[in-house]
Amino acid sequence: MSAAALSPAPAAPTRRDATARTARRYGTFALRRTGQALLVVLLAYVLVFLVLAAIPGDPISAQLENPQAGYTEEEKAQIRAFHGLDRPVLIQLLLALSQAVTGQLGTSLATSQPVTAMLAAAIPSTLALALTALLLALAIAAVLGLASRLLPTGRAGALIRSLPAVFLSTPNFLIGLVLIQVLAVQAGLFSIVEPESIGATLAAALTLAIPVSAQIAQVFITALDEAAGQDFAEVALARGLPPAQVVLRHLLRPSLLPTVTIVGLVLGEVLGGSLITEAIFGRAGVGTLVQKAVAAQDVPVLLAAVVLSALVFVLVNLVIDLFYPLLDPRLRGTEETR
Amino acid sequence: MSSTSTSETRTPDGGSAPNAPLLQVENLHVAYGATEVVHGVSFAVGAGRSLALIGESGSGKSTIARAVLRLLGTKDAPVTGTIRVQGRDVSALREREFLPLRGRVLGLVPQDPGASLNPVRSIGAQALEAAALVPGAHRREEREALVTRALERVGLPETERILAAFPHQLSGGQLQRVLIALALLPGPRLLVADEPTSALDATVQKQILDLLDELRAELGIGILLITHDLSLAAARADEVVVLQDGRVQEAGPTASVFAAPRSPYTRALQADVPGLHPDRFAPQREERDVRRPLTGAASQVVASQITRTFRTRDREVQALKGVSFEIPRGRTHALVGESGSGKSTAARALLGLEQLDAGQLTVGGRAVDPSDRAGLRELRRELQLVHQNPFTSLDPRWSVERIVAEGLNAYRVGDRRERAERTAWALEAVQLPEELHRRRPGVLSGGQRQRVAIARALALRPEVLVLDEPTSALDVTVQAGILEVLASLQAELGLTYLFISHDLGVVRQFADTLTVLRGGEVVESGTVAEVFAAPREEYTRRLLASIPAREGAEVPA
Repeated sequence: MSAAALSPAPAAPTRRDATARTARRYGTFALRRTGQALLVVLLAYVLVFLVLAAIPGDPISAQLENPQAGYTEEEKAQIRAFHGLDRPVLIQLLLALSQAVTGQLGTSLATSQPVTAMLAAAIPSTLALALTALLLALAIAAVLGLASRLLPTGRAGALIRSLPAVFLSTPNFLIGLVLIQVLAVQAGLFSIVEPESIGATLAAALTLAIPVSAQIAQVFITALDEAAGQDFAEVALARGLPPAQVVLRHLLRPSLLPTVTIVGLVLGEVLGGSLITEAIFGRAGVGTLVQKAVAAQDVPVLLAAVVLSALVFVLVNLVIDLFYPLLDPRLRGTEETR
Repeated sequence: MSSTSTSETRTPDGGSAPNAPLLQVENLHVAYGATEVVHGVSFAVGAGRSLALIGESGSGKSTIARAVLRLLGTKDAPVTGTIRVQGRDVSALREREFLPLRGRVLGLVPQDPGASLNPVRSIGAQALEAAALVPGAHRREEREALVTRALERVGLPETERILAAFPHQLSGGQLQRVLIALALLPGPRLLVADEPTSALDATVQKQILDLLDELRAELGIGILLITHDLSLAAARADEVVVLQDGRVQEAGPTASVFAAPRSPYTRALQADVPGLHPDRFAPQREERDVRRPLTGAASQVVASQITRTFRTRDREVQALKGVSFEIPRGRTHALVGESGSGKSTAARALLGLEQLDAGQLTVGGRAVDPSDRAGLRELRRELQLVHQNPFTSLDPRWSVERIVAEGLNAYRVGDRRERAERTAWALEAVQLPEELHRRRPGVLSGGQRQRVAIARALALRPEVLVLDEPTSALDVTVQAGILEVLASLQAELGLTYLFISHDLGVVRQFADTLTVLRGGEVVESGTVAEVFAAPREEYTRRLLASIPAREGAEVPA
């Protein structure tokens, strides 16, 4: 017993040391991951620039070469020089990069507006849509997942488990059209002529969220099932913990690891899906911007949009990466203390 | 803990136990879907008594334990029969009514401590959660005091460190102590111990079983011990129930069941317990000694002063510190030790999978050099591995024949016909029924799988087999069959074995010489006969003492 009385005193500082060491390690880990994330965005920029440069044709050339426009050779050269098109691709890339770093993304070839201004006008609408959709998707997936475990097995449980497949196999535009028909036209809950209103945004977000939530819910339910089959779940139950508490205290956290991973992956779905959803609901967001830029071969806008989505992707996955060690202590890389 | 008064008249065989049985199971049937796996099993456990359910995998022993604790989904696995706890029939109770019994009257000590605590939550969080279930423990300080007391009781005095730790930071023995402490918190009357030590090292095994014995004596807790290990049951249980395929083969006081087993199954089971029958493979080994006497030629395998250090960013672990051993051609050498002793690293080094820091390994006079790829390829023709876990070491999509022929194909041995002949020969050598040769591993039992793994190793006709705990995942009867095949093959083919094991009972039966390792160092080495008769080191004595076989329980079958 004397050993027991003595041990806490010397043990305490070593524990603090260990905690400090863990925190330091987490710091270097976070820095390294952030650096990698920035590198990915840079590479995405370069790659997209080169690919777009390799594709023949751009609106300027099309306009200049149009015989009806009647530009003189001198004027053509001036216009090209203004857009920097007369220099080698690599120099163009370096120039564009140095400007991009300072936040200047160039001028649209189609509208002659600064790309940053165009993006700034489009982003709020898309951000509202995508964020709301993501939150809705997470909420739906959480409800489905927990219900699959907490409801007594039987018909209700089977119904819950079949919902994700139904959600997933319903096309995005169909959900959107049905929602517009039912909520806007029949129930009059929102007006379709005001696409940025709260009601319309919610309806659009729900359209986007349903198929996305299905993918998250499928992974979440599977992860919960797997955790429920682990020894520790059975042992906690045998210790007398009520089944619902076993789910909330023991199954939830281990199941979040794969679920968080899939959230990062389906983000592409949210971004891609926003294009269709914006079209259905008549919203003027990044999706619409990209659509027009593609039609007009508007390279600076496309470049900015692609880099923007790469940035969002990388950021979200960075957050998720930084999240893992918080969820699972085994990923914190502490030393063994046995 | 106030136990409800129990009427002793309700229990028919209450006479054998001092009190009314804590747990009485009568005519228990359990089915998985349409298949009934437990057919009318009855037994009773009294306060302060221990009863062992003995059986091999598939005997239904774990199913019975789960039925008692109601851990089987009632829909998936209907349970019929009567289960009485402290005289009260609980079989008809609804889920909600049964909940107060869980933990508080019936506790569980699980099989695999490494998997039985939530890996993402600290021990402290889980312990406090368990303490919150104790009636009357409302305040946090009360709960903390309960937890501390329970941890100290099970022999974990450094409570603060333990509580701050996560499960992956503790050893298996520490985790099992934590789990026992958590089970003890609400003051259960009966502990169901489901193979509580099968995942632990031998010396730790003994400590955990001693702890359970103490708790039984001190707190009057009844213990329902589920085990496949006959010798463990013989040493630890007052009464035993021998199960086979969900039926009771034999039941009664331990001493009388082991002194005079009535059923042929119990006799067979007992005959296969390594600890009870050191001379089990003597006939095969005598035949070997006659056919292939020791020549005194150079040893087939020589390890001299091998050293291997693993380094991570902030520490070093010396897995091997100057370990030496030799194996004469056609003999068996055992590397014995607990987890972390370096025995697996030594085996990996012999296979050329570890770069040694110092020392040398030779096989058949040729040095093992991991940097020499061509040499390694030649070496592996002579040196094959039989892996510990036959459930993961065979590709489930390949047929048995294809698995065995893999090495022959890789080394382009002979033509197609010759390879087919060799494959057939190897499968015959391990006595695998011919109708299984074209099947996939999925339909094979553990023992059959391990035979396939041995056949795969044999197909190239190697000189040396590295047997890495080849039977630790198998039941005793299956283990005996596998060891018999290996012993016969040695006599027939003159194979040299490096036998890695933590089970000294098996080592005594199977090996000629042994090296005891601890923390990467040789503790003791010599012939099996010498070391077992007169161990020189304290550590070896402790290992030997942990072979769970009881004096007087050795009865010729």
